[in-house]
Parts: sequence; structure tokens; C-alpha cells
Amino acid sequence: MSEALLVVGQTVLLVLLAPLWAGLVAVFKARLQMRQGAPVWQRWRDLVKLASKETVLSEDASPLARVVPYAVLAASFTVCVFTPVLSTNDGLGFAGDLVMTVALFAAVRVLIALLALEAGTTFGGMAASRHLALSALGEPAMVMSVFTLAIGAGSTQLSRISAAVAAAPNEWLSPSHLLALTAMWLVVLAEIGRVPVDNPVTHLELTMVHEGMLLDTSGRHLALLEWAAHARTLVLLTLVANLFMPWGIATTDTPAALGLALAAWLAKLVLFAGIVAVTESVTARMRLFRVPEFLGMAFLLALLALSTDTMLRG
Amino acid sequence: MLLAGLDGVLLASTIGALAAAALLPLLASLVPRVPGVLRLSVPRALAVLGSLCAAALGALALAGVASGTLEWWPGFPAQPFTITADALSAPFLLLLGLVSATAFAAFDLSDRSTGTAARLALQAGFTLALFGALVASHALLFLLAWEGMTLLSALLVAHDAGSARARGAAFTYLALSHAGAALVALALLTLSARAGGFQFSSLAVAFAHQTPAEVARLSWLFTIGFAVKLGVVPLHVWLPLAHPEAPAPTSAVLSGVMVKAGLYGLLRFAWALPGAPPPEWGTVLLLAGIATALTGALYATVESDAKKLLAWSTVKHAGLLTLATGLAALLVTAGRLELAGLALSAAFIHALGHGLAKSAAFLAVGEAVHASGVRSLEQMGGLARRMPGTSLAALLAVLALAGLPLFSCFAGEWLIYQTLILGYSAGAGELRLLAPFAGAGLALASALALAAMVKLYGIAFLGRPRSEAAAHAHDATPAVSNALFVAALLPLLMGVGAPWIAACFARPVAVLLPEFDAGTLSAASGFLLVPAGLAPSSVSPFAVAVLVALFAGLAFLWLRGHGGAREVRRAPSWACGAKLDARMQYSALGFTKPIRLVFKPVLTPESELEVLEEGSPYFARKLRHRSGVPERIEQLVYTPVVQAVLWTSARARQLQDGSLHLYLSYLLATLVALLLWAR
Repeated sequence: MSEALLVVGQTVLLVLLAPLWAGLVAVFKARLQMRQGAPVWQRWRDLVKLASKETVLSEDASPLARVVPYAVLAASFTVCVFTPVLSTNDGLGFAGDLVMTVALFAAVRVLIALLALEAGTTFGGMAASRHLALSALGEPAMVMSVFTLAIGAGSTQLSRISAAVAAAPNEWLSPSHLLALTAMWLVVLAEIGRVPVDNPVTHLELTMVHEGMLLDTSGRHLALLEWAAHARTLVLLTLVANLFMPWGIATTDTPAALGLALAAWLAKLVLFAGIVAVTESVTARMRLFRVPEFLGMAFLLALLALSTDTMLRG
Repeated sequence: MLLAGLDGVLLASTIGALAAAALLPLLASLVPRVPGVLRLSVPRALAVLGSLCAAALGALALAGVASGTLEWWPGFPAQPFTITADALSAPFLLLLGLVSATAFAAFDLSDRSTGTAARLALQAGFTLALFGALVASHALLFLLAWEGMTLLSALLVAHDAGSARARGAAFTYLALSHAGAALVALALLTLSARAGGFQFSSLAVAFAHQTPAEVARLSWLFTIGFAVKLGVVPLHVWLPLAHPEAPAPTSAVLSGVMVKAGLYGLLRFAWALPGAPPPEWGTVLLLAGIATALTGALYATVESDAKKLLAWSTVKHAGLLTLATGLAALLVTAGRLELAGLALSAAFIHALGHGLAKSAAFLAVGEAVHASGVRSLEQMGGLARRMPGTSLAALLAVLALAGLPLFSCFAGEWLIYQTLILGYSAGAGELRLLAPFAGAGLALASALALAAMVKLYGIAFLGRPRSEAAAHAHDATPAVSNALFVAALLPLLMGVGAPWIAACFARPVAVLLPEFDAGTLSAASGFLLVPAGLAPSSVSPFAVAVLVALFAGLAFLWLRGHGGAREVRRAPSWACGAKLDARMQYSALGFTKPIRLVFKPVLTPESELEVLEEGSPYFARKLRHRSGVPERIEQLVYTPVVQAVLWTSARARQLQDGSLHLYLSYLLATLVALLLWAR
């Protein structure tokens, strides 16, 4: 019973906190620019407002366009269920592992790219084309870097990887772990559409990647897609936090341990928000065709992480 | 035992029904004024029936019901012709039955020309030959069926005799297939001569009496011969040429099943008969598998011809099958039989999963090509609103081919990943070195395949029509639409039910690994897909399906409470104030340009700009732009071979100049040489 409560609680926490993280980055950036900025819960307000607005669909769109927002949201939230947030207790984790997580992300990518092509406009195709090319390089890098950990844990189950890394306190200092972490961070930056790969606050359609695919959606469909994107961002950050540096994660389900885990998790998220805000304030976005080099580097780092593992463990 | 006699009946009725379906249209065409029913509908119904019998036979053999044997001895070869549906044939029979049943059901009979009847007859014959190759347990019968399969499908590839492209494709197909078949025949006949019989059981005994070097030589002959059919790089060049040229139901069987017959050949003749694969086999297949998967995925991404894109995707999946087989062999060499069993079951599951998905994709895309009259994605578009039934089927098939969870290709890829990780952790020999690269290659190929599938569906079916022909396309007849829908539903069903299906492949694995306790595979736990209890990893497509449905339902309820009940308003797409034109959409070529640029060093795309008519120095009046991605493997490997053959034949021609005196002197010279030699 308490296990069921934990699964539901973790998922609800992840899903509800998700829009706040983007708000937090915006607040940090505003402060760095000496501005007041919008409050942290601004993204939540946006979502609620969008949900009650009229939905307009292109005349050229097929019935698929009406299904995609729901499917994308459902797939993104399903990943939340498998993500270890507070505890390494397996919960429903048996139903989905690392490969399933990556595959569900891939499903979301396919569906959104198809949605972008529905309206028959230039910008949708442009963004979808770029997004697919970038993630064709990012996805293998992500798979490889998490595999480095999965091999150590002897399982592809996310909670077991987390528990294994947590149980070996000095393991995270090994070269392969650090290389894998670096690779993962680069990919996560690309996947959540942040500088230096994409600029989330751009207003120029020509430079858009993630936002460009949603240009032709509106109203409740946009609300669903935005919420799903927030949830995916938080899942990726939680994976970095709890797989690569699972300090503080609860290995037993006592209230004290869970409280500590919650504090540690939130602290790590705030840290990530700070890093992203500083990065965005001091660097510019890369030219589009420099990004493959960036992601190629992530891929090589991840491959290097695996080979280092081979050499060091013999 | 009621079921015991059933398999013999099923064997006989499959052959009978398919043979009747092949012969009826031919016989009916000899008699004037035969009703169309007898020429088309009855043969088609028979063919569907025969295919379903084959599927049932496969399912029975998988379930372990004793495999029946049929014998026929016309008194001519040393031993009677025998056919058996054993456990190793079973997965392939199941696949053949399901795919060809839907392919026949999707045969469009509304066109009552002789061409339709001929295609139906040829396809039935082709299916029968394929069935024969899978169940034959007699070397000569196998070679006959194998050859019949190649010849009949080549006729179907060249069915559009007016097209030079189709004739060229059929020629390349025949040339490579016969080169492969020659190697297989050489090995098989050598072995039969040494065994003194043609039965597979006596061949296995003969194998046991050869020296290891001789065993390896024969196994490699089989391997190269069957790798042609499987489409392993660099023997794949015929596949993307021939598969798209055939009519859609044939393409479905070619890509869905015939490619897997290559895998069957590999496993049967290079593994099951000798008892174990030759040394180095695993390493070579693993590396070839990675190369094949990457080549197929990369070329699929940059391809703009709808059917050819699907054919390249078949190359990618053939690469995965090769990779899994190589992995299994490597693990056998390392003595990890339980992991080898896992890799083999991954290969079987992926063969079935890809076969179902690819055949559905070929049927649906073939229907779209038929309705719009064009094969190039550049002239399609907007079909989803014009042919909703076909588009739904195409969507399901394309999602399955992209390897998404809940669909059939996911289970195989998941098991391959698991085996790679486990094999790597177990430190199994060369695998320690190769597994990271195999994993990286697999991940890269999957991500590229995703882009290819989005391109196929997004450009062809979504957006606005890019040509008049696409704008006036109509959906298929209800009968064909229903068949397409069933074909596209199978990958989804298999995807959700993957754990139960995975448990069925213990018997074929046990044929290849007799010492392995296959019980561990079949004892998979209920609705969880697990790597046979070897690692604490699991996924449950069924639970994921439930969760997805749950969240979609919750989102729906949330929006309903938020005024979401309001109707969606339709409006024209916004084109920044300009008039929206279909040419404003991304083209198929442009859609994957970023990928083409990233992989430029590998793909080496060519483009050429020619000024036809000069205007002022800066504005030419007329330009011609040509671009394309040439197939480098074909140029590097095959062009020299073709040139060498042509050069040799040109030289040999000089011997034959038509003069009788010269020919007589050749005879004399030969006679003298022979006498000297025999002295």
C-alpha cells in the first residue's frame, strides 16, 4: 500500500513541479540581468490559461493532429512513472527500464515531428527536420552514457542503476563515470532545447527547433504539449540527478529518508537551474551546423566512457 | 492425440491450396469466357486459406506438437523427397502464413485484366516455393524450391516489362541471387555426395565426418550464399533495387518473409547441420550486422522514393538480424549458452516483428503509390485526408518500423540490447571489445530509422498534396482497406503481447543449442518481457499501454473541466501573410538535408549546377540542378567485377569468328591436348 502511495506520490510530484523548473530558470536569468522577471509559477498560469482557450487547427491537418497532443502527454507522463525521484524502491519500475524510457522519448519525438508536418507550412517542416537530425546524434550518446552505468549495475532498470551507483560511493569519481556524466549533460542540454543548442526565448522562427514544431498548435492542444515538454525536461534532469549523482536518494522508505531525498532532489534541481541560467546568460546559441559537432563530441565521450570501463575493469 | 494428425493435414492442405491458386488462373485463361470468379476470386480465397494453414502449421510446431513428415518418392533420386515442419522452420512458417495471408487478402481484384490473374498466379507459386524451401528436408527439393522462389519472384519484380528500371532491377536480382544459389548448391551437393544421400539427417551425419577445415569451408559457402538473400552488406545491392519494383503484395512477402528465409538458411545449414557455427563466424556476422544496419538506416533516411525507402529499412533490420545471430555465435564460442539462447530468441522475435510490420508498410504504402500514381515522395503529400483507411494502416506500420514501444520491433531490439549488456558484463571473449560498438551502432541506426519513418509518413501522407495526382487520390476499396487494417494491427498486437510470444521461441532455440536448457526461455514471467531470468531487468509493453491510456484519459477529463468541450475551429494555415502554396512545404530531399550534411563524409552526396542559358552575369535565365546520393558500395565492389566480366567476354569473343576452319582446328588442338594429357 505504501509502495503504491510512493509511486503515485512521486509521479504527481514530478508532473506538478515540472512547469516550475522552467519558471525557476527564468527567474534566475531575470535576476542575472537585473530584472524583476515573472514569478516562478508563471508557466503554470500559462498552462491553465491555454487550457481554456479556443483550439484552432489547420484545414490541412488530418485526424492524427487531434490525437497527438494526448498521446504525447500520456507517453511523457508514463516515463515519469518509471523515473526514480525520491526512492530506489522499484515501484512500477519493473514495467519500464532505460530502453523503454528512451523508446518512449523517441515515440514523443516521432509524434511531435509528424504534428509539425500537418499544417503544410515551411516552419513546421524546418523544425522537424532539424530536430530529427539533432536527436539522431543525441539519442545514441544518451543510450551509451547510461549503458556505462547499466553495465556496472547489471540491470537496465533505472531504480537499480540508481541504487547501484548510490551503494558505491567512490565509483562516481571513476573516469568512465565522469565521462558518461559529461556526455549525458551535453545531450540533456540538447534534448531540453537550451543554449547552446536551442534558445527557448527566441522569437525568430528561422532559428527555432523545439518551439518551431509547435507553431501551428494552439489552445488546449498547446497546453498539453507544453506540459508534456516540461515533464520530459524534469525527467531528464532527474535522471542526471538520480542516476549519475544519487546522493541523498532514499534506499529505505522511512519518512525521514524520504524527506532527506526530497530535499536533496530539490537542491540538485535548483543547482541545475542555476547552471543553465548562467550558461544562457554568458554564452550565445551555436550555429545550427555546429550542433552536430557538439553532439558528436557527446557521442564520442560516451563511447570513450564505455571503453575506459573496459580497460579499467579488464 | 487429435492434434498429432493435424500437422500432416495442414502440410498437405497448404501445398494443395497454394498449388491450386497458382494453377487455376492459368488453366482458366486457356478456356474462353471463364467467369471472373474462377479466374480471380476463387484462387485468391484458396491462397488465403493455404497461407492460414501454413501459419497454423508454424504455430503448432512452435507449440511442440509432433512435426508431421510427408514423403514422396517418384523412384528417381536415391531417397524419397521429404518435407517436415520442424521447430526451426516454425517461426518462419508462422511469419510466412500471416504475411502472405494479408498480402493475398489485399490483392486488388477490381482490375480484371489478365495481368492481375497472372500476378495472382505467380504470387501463389512464389509463396508455394518459399513454403517449400522452409519445410524441405531433402537437399534436391530444397534447391528446387529455392530456385523456384528466386525465378518466380524475379518475374514479379519485372512484371512492369515496359520499365527499364524494373528490368535492370530484375537482372541484378537474378545475377546476385544465382551467384548465391550457386555457392549453396556447390556446398549442398558436395555434402550430399559425401553423405551418399540427400536427407538433411544424413547431411548432418556427413558433416560430423569432415575435417574441421572442410566443415568451415562448407559452412562459409552456405553463409555467403544465404547472406545474399538476407541482404548483408556488401551483398545487399539487389535488395533496394528489386523490392520496390514488385507489386505491393509481392514486395510485402519479399521484404517481410523472403529476406528471413536467408536467415533460415544461415541457421539451418551453417549452424544446425554442422552442430555449431564455424570459428570467427560470430565476429564476422556481428561486424557485418553493424555495417548493414547503419548502411540501411542511413540510405533509408536520404531516400526520396517511398518504396525504396522501405527497402532500405529492410536492409537495416536485416542488419539487426545478422547482428543478433553473430552475437549468439560469439556467445557460444565463449561458452555462455544461456546468453546465446537469448540472442537467438531475439533474432527470431525480431524476424517475426519486422516481417509483420514491413509487410503492412509495403501494402499500405503500395496502395498509396497505386492511388496517387507516383512513387516519389516529392509528388505525394496530403494523402491522410484523401485516403484515411490506408493512411491509418500506414501510420501503424510506420510507428512499428520506427521501433516504438507497444509495437512489434521493440521487443527484438530490447532483447538485443540486454544480450549485449549481459555479454559485455560476462566478459565473453571478443564481445568485451565489440559490444560497445554494436550498442552504439544499434542506437545510431534506430535513431536514423526514426527520421526515415517520419519522413516517409510525414511527407507522403501529411500536409498538402504536392501534385495533381496526389490531390485526386482515393481510398482503396473496402475489402482492401480491411485487409490493410488487419495487416497493420498485427504488429501492434504482437508488440503488446511480446512477452507471451517471446516465451514461444524456446523450441527453435533448442534445435540450435541442444545442450541448452530451453526451459529458461519459455518460463518467462507472464506479462513481463525479461532476459530469461539472467538479469533483473524487465519491461512490460502491456503495463505501458495501460499507463498511456490512463494518462490520456486523465488529460481528457482535466480539459473537459476547463472548457475543453468546445469544438476545435478549422482555419487556413498561416503562411506569414503570403498565399499558402504546397511548394512552401519542406521537400523530401530538404527534410533530411541536415542528416545528409552531417554524414557527408560517408554518403558523399553529389550535386551539380549547370547554367543552361546565361542572362546577366549574376542572374542566369535557366539552370539545371542535379543531385543525388550515389551508392558507393555498388561502385566500389561491383563496378570492377562487372567490368572484368565484360572485358573477359570481349576477349573470349575473339575466339569465335565464324570460320569453320578455325573451329575444326580448335577441335584438333583439343584432341591432341587430351591425348597428350591422357597418355
